Amino acid sequence: MPFYRCLIPKDSISYEKRSEIATAITDVHCGISAAPRNFVHVAFIETEEGESVPNLYGTATIEPGTRYFIAGGNRAGRPPEVRETILNGIIDKFCDITSISHNEISGIITEGPASWTMEDGQILPEPGEEPAEWYAHDAVTD
Amino acid sequence: MIEFYCTVQEGCIPDSVRGSLEEAITQCCFSALGEDQGPVDIGWSEIPEGFGFRGGRPSTTSIVRGRIPDGCDTETRTKLLMSLGDEWCRITGAGKDEVLVAARDWSYKG
Repeated sequence: MPFYRCLIPKDSISYEKRSEIATAITDVHCGISAAPRNFVHVAFIETEEGESVPNLYGTATIEPGTRYFIAGGNRAGRPPEVRETILNGIIDKFCDITSISHNEISGIITEGPASWTMEDGQILPEPGEEPAEWYAHDAVTD
Repeated sequence: MIEFYCTVQEGCIPDSVRGSLEEAITQCCFSALGEDQGPVDIGWSEIPEGFGFRGGRPSTTSIVRGRIPDGCDTETRTKLLMSLGDEWCRITGAGKDEVLVAARDWSYKG
């Protein structure tokens, strides 16, 4: 966690651009939150026009109103303006990299309690309560 | 009623172990929450190679997300999450840094 799913039209973004976007999303998220970079997950899901996709729990569908859509899932506990800043930062970077216009993309960030998620063998800490040793996780793949 | 949805990276979790994983998820849920909370429904989706990233790099991480009955206390939920992660790693051979497990309350709308 966080997990950002980018809904994109089929064959619209090359691997190189997807990789660049994934790094940019990681940069934005980690520049604002306190998450280790290695905990930022990004997936690209190609969709047909008007197609809906399951949400993270497979319990409902996301029906984007734009050709491109960012569906993020983060730890709860940050002020709403922080969530908005993260989403806007991601959308700005996405548009910069792909040259799409801002009216072609929208998004939403949903949240869940940190204690409801386990990653790398540990229950996630609440935002603002991250212990120093948590950042050792970035060394796993570095 | 319990539901889990497993999102895996293409080529990382072979079809041949998915049955064992489904059995393990079910047993972990029954052990932590009680069999009377079942049945356990499990769904799968696969992220194609080149479409999943972690920390800006190609990802091998599986994301296992579920919904469990409301009212689960922290100790029980922690036991469930840890046992699911342990079983996932044991069956797939994945490292502990290659699985994320989440279980939210059934009625949670966040």
